[in-house]
Amino acid sequence: MRLLVSLLLIGACAAQARAGSTLQRVEQRGVLHDALVDDYPPFGFIDANNELAGFDVDVARAVAARLGVKLDLATPGWETIVSGRWQGRWDICICSMSPTEERAKVLDFPVRYYNSPAVLVVNKNEQRIHSVADISGKRVGVGTGSSYESYLNKALSIPGAAPIAYPFHDVIVIPGDETVNFRNLALGPGLRLDAIVSDIATARTAIDSTHALKIVGDVLYAEPDVVATEKGDPEWNTTVARAVDALKADGTLAKIARRWFDADITLDEH
Amino acid sequence: MTNTDVRGVPPAESARHDAENSIPASHAARHDGPRGYFLLKVWLTWVALFALLAAACVGLKLDLGFVAQKLPYLLGLRLAPNGFIQGAALTLLVTCCSMVFAMLVAILTAFGRMSSNPVAFALASFYASLFRGTPLLVQVLIIYLALPQVGIVLGALSSGLIALSLNYGAYLAETIRSGMMAVPHGQREAAMALALPPWLVFWKVTGPQALRLIIPPAGALFVSMLKDSSLVSIMGLWELNFLAQAYARATYHYMEMLIAAALIYWAMSIAFEMVQLRLERRFGRSLAWQARR
Repeated sequence: MRLLVSLLLIGACAAQARAGSTLQRVEQRGVLHDALVDDYPPFGFIDANNELAGFDVDVARAVAARLGVKLDLATPGWETIVSGRWQGRWDICICSMSPTEERAKVLDFPVRYYNSPAVLVVNKNEQRIHSVADISGKRVGVGTGSSYESYLNKALSIPGAAPIAYPFHDVIVIPGDETVNFRNLALGPGLRLDAIVSDIATARTAIDSTHALKIVGDVLYAEPDVVATEKGDPEWNTTVARAVDALKADGTLAKIARRWFDADITLDEH
Repeated sequence: MTNTDVRGVPPAESARHDAENSIPASHAARHDGPRGYFLLKVWLTWVALFALLAAACVGLKLDLGFVAQKLPYLLGLRLAPNGFIQGAALTLLVTCCSMVFAMLVAILTAFGRMSSNPVAFALASFYASLFRGTPLLVQVLIIYLALPQVGIVLGALSSGLIALSLNYGAYLAETIRSGMMAVPHGQREAAMALALPPWLVFWKVTGPQALRLIIPPAGALFVSMLKDSSLVSIMGLWELNFLAQAYARATYHYMEMLIAAALIYWAMSIAFEMVQLRLERRFGRSLAWQARR
């Protein structure tokens, strides 16, 4: 017991030591601790060589290089990231996060790094659903804690964006791992899921890998994706924003985008 | 002096009594007695069942090339991208470290439960009740997700170790306590009558006899802990279950990856059980020796 108490104390002291300014911490250690998810291809996933790969990983590498520090990647799980209060566990999250008002309470969003609209995905043999107006009463999969989950619950509010229309009612929201959801939808229309709301880029990747899905209807809403930091270090936020803006200006971001997608998703208007 | 010398029971009677009650002794009887074919038949049945299972796996037309490609990562023969160990190696590290901590916690708690000091008793019973009465998953989440809210930030690995140690320590404490209680009171009295100091009574007389009773259920607990260590995957530790799921998700080879992970867990469990059996034999050796006589 005594050993565990001292372990806890050591942990608490370490937390105290880490609680200083993020900028200071990154500069002192020379390491950028970036949190991202491993289940969100093509933005973040574990590739054939057991390495973390994807658009978000490449952007993180570029940002770390720009700041002149080493990069350390962690995959703590989405809910852990968006719930905030990192307490110095991570310095930054380049993890395809949409800036919602809910998240803005616990995180800062210093800079936008790409735009990718939300779409509705169904099985390719689906006959009943032609647009988002047809999903009332249907089972729709979304990533747990994602902005798409808030959208289906009619509770999504993106700061600075126009109000979003919700032309549906009584949707049965099925939160889960997005990749698993796509696989479940690919099993057949209505078998486990009737539809999925997701980002257009992840949807296209899922369509290519399963050959059993399609996008229906128009874009649901435009969605910016931002870099997230822990709340309360304006200096660090400025540093991050400056680094990402520099990567935009010198074409690095566009180059990374073209490596992963047909289009440059980092442009201001998509 | 061995622990059998102070029993105050005629050797023949004691041997008969123990041969009926202890597993190691009856094992020894199987080796030597007329039931010598017993083990052979057990093995043959095992081989047949294993062949059936293997045939079922072959029938599923699994992509074995994919499994072979991922196996070095699953086993942890290669390091994770961040330079830390991963896969089964990390699972073993988490389990073994938690085992050591759980034992320390459990011994302290067991003594607390048997203490005549009311505060020690209350502390021990409160802790055991709390950690046995709440799900391990909830404990993991509280330590990893909830503690940072009050300023205590633990890494994923230390959170997992603490949760597993505290949870299993509570169970193990009860196992240790029941083992200690099961040693007949006369053993201690007889040893004290020989003017042995208390620590020697524990070390040479009551301790070894209790261990004989503690080892089988404690072994079962550690095998269970090995499998429950998969819960730490939710904190992003790249252990066996995390990797199996990540590879399965990325490629939709769920059957391959989950069966591979299950087999690796199984093999590790068997290794644990073999260690347990050796310990069981070691601490039951006086009984086995008597049974043969």
